[in-house]
Amino acid sequence: MPNFHRKLERSAIGFVLAIIVVASIGGFVEIAPLFTIDETVEKAPDMRVYTPLELAGRNIYLREGCYACHSQMIRTLRDEVERYGPYSLAVESQYDHPMLWGSKRTGPDLARVGGKYSDAWQVAHLRNPRDVVPVSVMPAYRWLEDNTLKTEDLGDHLLAMRRVGVPYTQAMIDNAPADAYGQATPDTDRAAGVSERYGEATNIRAFDGDPSRVTEMDALVAYLQILGKLTDVATAPAVAAKE
Amino acid sequence: MIAGLTKLERQLSLAVLTVLALCGLAFAAAGRNDPIGTHGFVILLSAVGLMFVVMAGYYAPEPDKERLSRYYDDPTKVGIILAMAWAVFGLFFGVWVAALLAWPDLTFDAAWSSFGRIRPVHTTSVIFGFGGNALIATSLHVLQRTTRARLPDQFSPWFVLLGYNLFCVLAVSGYFMGLTQSKEYAEPEWYADIWLVIVWVVYFLIYIRTLARRKEPHIYVANWYYMAFILVVAILHIVNNLAVPVSFGSAKSYSLFSGVQDAMTQWWYGHNAVAFFLTAGFLGMMYYYLPKRAGRPIFSYRLSIISFWGIVFMYMWAGSHHLHYTALPQWVQTLGMTFSVVLLVPSWASAGNALATLNGAWHKVRDDATLRFMMVAAVFYGLSTFEGSFMAIRAVNSLSHYTDWTVGHVHAGALGWVAMISFGSIYALVPWMWKRERMYSSRLVEVHFWLALSGTVVYVFAMWNSGIIQGLMWRTYNESGTLAYSFIDSLVAMHPYYIARTLGGLLFLLGAMVGCYNIWMTIRQPGTSLAAEGSEVDEPALATSTALQAGE
Amino acid sequence: MEIGKRDPVTGKTTTGHEWNGIEELDTPVPRVVLFFLFVTILFSVVYWVLMPAWPLGVTYTKGLLGFDDRQVVASAVSDATLERAAWTDKVASMDFPAIQADEGLMRSVRETGRTLFADNCAVCHGVDAKGGPGFPDLTAKAWLWGGSPEQITQTIEFGINSGHPDTRVSQMMAFGRDGVLDRKQINDVVAYVRSLSGAEAATGDNAGRIEAGREVFAANCVACHGDTGKGNVEVGAPDLTDAKWIYGSDTQSVFNTVYGGRQGHMPHWKDRLTPIDVKVLALYVQSLDGAAK
Ligand code: HEC
Ligand code: HEC
Ligand code: HEC
Ligand code: HEM
Ligand code: HEM
Ligand SMILES: [Ca+2]
Ligand SMILES: [Ca+2]
Ligand SMILES: [Cu+2]
Repeated sequence: MPNFHRKLERSAIGFVLAIIVVASIGGFVEIAPLFTIDETVEKAPDMRVYTPLELAGRNIYLREGCYACHSQMIRTLRDEVERYGPYSLAVESQYDHPMLWGSKRTGPDLARVGGKYSDAWQVAHLRNPRDVVPVSVMPAYRWLEDNTLKTEDLGDHLLAMRRVGVPYTQAMIDNAPADAYGQATPDTDRAAGVSERYGEATNIRAFDGDPSRVTEMDALVAYLQILGKLTDVATAPAVAAKE
Repeated sequence: MIAGLTKLERQLSLAVLTVLALCGLAFAAAGRNDPIGTHGFVILLSAVGLMFVVMAGYYAPEPDKERLSRYYDDPTKVGIILAMAWAVFGLFFGVWVAALLAWPDLTFDAAWSSFGRIRPVHTTSVIFGFGGNALIATSLHVLQRTTRARLPDQFSPWFVLLGYNLFCVLAVSGYFMGLTQSKEYAEPEWYADIWLVIVWVVYFLIYIRTLARRKEPHIYVANWYYMAFILVVAILHIVNNLAVPVSFGSAKSYSLFSGVQDAMTQWWYGHNAVAFFLTAGFLGMMYYYLPKRAGRPIFSYRLSIISFWGIVFMYMWAGSHHLHYTALPQWVQTLGMTFSVVLLVPSWASAGNALATLNGAWHKVRDDATLRFMMVAAVFYGLSTFEGSFMAIRAVNSLSHYTDWTVGHVHAGALGWVAMISFGSIYALVPWMWKRERMYSSRLVEVHFWLALSGTVVYVFAMWNSGIIQGLMWRTYNESGTLAYSFIDSLVAMHPYYIARTLGGLLFLLGAMVGCYNIWMTIRQPGTSLAAEGSEVDEPALATSTALQAGE
Repeated sequence: MEIGKRDPVTGKTTTGHEWNGIEELDTPVPRVVLFFLFVTILFSVVYWVLMPAWPLGVTYTKGLLGFDDRQVVASAVSDATLERAAWTDKVASMDFPAIQADEGLMRSVRETGRTLFADNCAVCHGVDAKGGPGFPDLTAKAWLWGGSPEQITQTIEFGINSGHPDTRVSQMMAFGRDGVLDRKQINDVVAYVRSLSGAEAATGDNAGRIEAGREVFAANCVACHGDTGKGNVEVGAPDLTDAKWIYGSDTQSVFNTVYGGRQGHMPHWKDRLTPIDVKVLALYVQSLDGAAK
């Protein structure tokens, strides 16, 4: 060994190549098959994409760094399943570019928080968590209610998502700003297009309680209310088993 | 400093800065309604500012040929100062972030200061700002000394050092504005990522060009590690940051991968950022400054070989231990766990190699806080790798994952290993670089050492406690067979530990500030030519062969 | 740089190289390193044989144990369910009074209910269930929808204004915003409503307003809140004569209630919690004592 190595030490290029080769193996063997082994991502025919408003909300979730405290990944462990609900499936984050599985639970897991609480609670909680949960250490996000949501470039966002493989239709891309607006203003004519394009089950509400404005709060709450609800595959068998 | 550059290098600098300024201008214009516009201005201002600096020295006389018979250390000096500045900045934010979890209203109601935004400010500032600058500064120093060759030119080291710091500034200022890809330790957006690739290629070229002209037939171990650091970080960075921007005028991008593939790529990256940034690079540092300071030969050359290739090969398999019990297929988790366990052997081999090198110099460890910094670093390196391999076992990880135990492990490595080895190396390096007999005050080095050690111990013990309590509370069942504690119960239980951690961090920060003062005073104190005690044999290795230098 | 130079301290030979003063000893790799390398690799190989481990193009080695996390957790959960059956079966089959009479059973109910409540309900109703602005106090025994365990169960299962097809629906309209009442009328009825629970005493100068408010109330509010303001559990209209307030008793809050209306939203839990969980929660909530804590 030392003799061979002494030779290698004398060649800078040889050493560089050796490092590259030796270091590339592990990642290749672990990552490449995730694209080729079929069962890696389960099938979910009912899986739907994020609406433009939800996507905008997701981007706010990223911007504010919620992932630093909240996981979105319920592990296959008894206590997690009993506390948070059925364990997360790979398919549930199929359209998540990037994924938000998280690595720290300073706050609870949010993978199935959609529908767990009311919009009003979410708004009150985001405005100041300590108003509703006195011991909370979560930051207050008061500015979300004041900031009008930027919607005009959402078409570009959907297009970029399509480029990385999310099946947005041309109609969805073309109508993205209107759909974002419509989803948070149920009484306008733009609301109808949302359920037409994204399905009847889509939440169309004044999420922040104020139907006259579409704010960042609307977007974030719309996103939170859809967590765990893009497909039923994870919950369906569990509910069946419980009965 | 500009006077040290040749005319040609000054012109090259201006040309490159002009291109950079134009890029900045383009972003500023294209991103008028987007935070990327702000970053355009940051780039523009940095470039123009540096142009003024270059212009100010532009007409200085050509540097004399003599310089080629000396090592080129100006970038190292600036790198040390930048490293210390980032350390204080990053540690300050660490303390702030820690305080927020004890007293969540310390954000002054501003968006930029909320936990989720300043947490990455902390991590990036300490890892990339402090750690990265320390690595660049020391690597350029070690590279020249162990090859007995001068850096190939005087422009590219500045490009790397300042370009790298521009990357860090873009990253950190971006988080304040909410710009993030959310991938841990790879948060900066697409344009900053691209910029880092360019900087990194030049960094690699410096290395390979210097090695090509080395006067030592064999490449020294420290350089193996520095090379692995540069090369593998490049691979990781490029693959994990693949993304499609929304538009040229938008800071936002969407990661190429999604879901489970994205998770695996991210933690393949994340874990190996630990391995090749926080470990390999700093092992390179250790392999030079520790034997130097101890005045002892490396304990075993053969052990160096085993640990180096073990680390390079096996770390790359271990990333999936961040995803145990998740939706990642179990076979990948198996591989991640088993390789993490084997990985302990080369890790301890390198820690052992370092400690055994001190045989015959333990009296120095006792008397010299600088060497003690390095010794303690090696111990914490051994400790955190043992802990890491332990936590990589699935059953253990089911308890530790998502909890403060991980954070405790991180900081055993980050404070105990990364920061301590850096401080030790910097204390060794500063007198050599500024041609001082010794540090301004060895008492203050001693003070720094004890502040750092006690801060680390308080931090790590607090997090072990809180993490294990948290993990146990989440999975404890009562007699009825149902969950005994709610999430909120666990949150309340963390409070005292979060306060303790903040105090530990404060001690550590104070230590770093003491270090800054000491370094500053060392630089300011009058120089001697070169002095005996512990100083480096800084032989102008190339005095005889300057001709070889000129062209490059 | 002589090969085989000896290190004076340890007596070992060096490799003969030197980099700016640093030398290396040619110490052989310590046995213990090789030993542990062997042990850890052996462990890994055994583990690979037993567990899912290596990718093979479109599939992977499944391991001899046929071990699969998803099955493991599924059986862990169902085993646990079976184990709990000792008391949960009783909860499922017995009726409420019988359970409440069984002190041993109630201990399990309280123990389980506490965590369930804290993980699911406490963010709105508070850890102590005493509520907060907009969220009713569940310990006050001032029930909107009735306090029997059956009624509470229904509230939990289907929620209030929750969007579930079987939800309880309650709606207090926006008298001000919708232009049913003018500002003066609202001020009057606010004074009247506040006087019902003694939040506002009928002193000289507001006696007139209270009197006027009584008229407004009789014309607009009694349909839901009843002639005497005692509320109606059929429509979830609260008793306005007790000192318990959901949205606050100060003039401004009550004004806001009447002006903008109220439609509290309590989520439904049927799809999220098991029938046992819901029953446990109903019992737990009902057992809460306002005086405690
Ligand atoms: C400092 C860490 C921290 C950050 C950052 C943070 N949270 Fe939280 N979050 C918590 C804690 C702790 C709790 C539990 C206490 C509570 O309910 O407030 C919580 C609870 C929640 C809950 C309720 C979950 C449940 O099931 O009870 C939601 C929803 C939530 N957070 C959303 C967010 C969003 C959205 C963001 C970002 C805009 C965010 N959080 C940022 C710490 C954080
Ligand atoms: C998102 C907030 C929220 C959560 C979570 C929540 N509730 Fe409620 N709950 C409410 C609101 C609001 C009301 C009152 C609705 C109204 O004003 O008519 C209510 C009403 C009730 C009532 C009826 C009180 C009465 O006087 O009749 C009961 C019982 C109740 N909740 C129990 C629970 C239980 C048990 C849970 C957990 C499984 C729970 N709640 C979770 C918001 C919530
Ligand atoms: C259609 C039925 C209905 C009518 C008519 C109605 N209310 Fe209500 N009222 C409700 C319901 C239901 C609630 C509880 C709403 C909730 O909690 O979400 C309520 C709540 C209230 C509250 C809040 C109590 C608290 O604890 O904070 C006040 C005050 C009130 N009503 C006063 C009035 C007055 C005054 C009028 C007439 C001007 C009126 N209500 C007419 C149904 C009605
Ligand atoms: C003054 C000393 C320090 C303090 C008080 C401090 C505090 C913190 C805090 C509070 C967190 C967030 C933990 C959480 O989310 O619960 C954190 C995370 C982190 N810190 Fe530090 N830190 C310090 C020094 C350092 C140093 C020197 C480094 C690296 C060289 C470092 C690297 C990290 C990393 C990598 C994380 C992310 C951990 C994870 O995601 O698991 N820290 N730190
Ligand atoms: C043999 C070596 C090591 C192994 C096997 C190892 C293993 C691990 C494991 C299992 C985790 C927890 C993952 C999780 O549950 O989320 C972790 C986290 C971490 N480790 Fe190590 N570790 C090693 C050495 C180190 C060293 C030397 C450092 C230096 C600072 C370090 C830094 C980190 C960081 C920053 C994280 C947090 C990642 C995150 O979640 O953000 N590790 N490591
Ligand atoms: Ca993390
Ligand atoms: Ca990035
Ligand atoms: Cu790792």
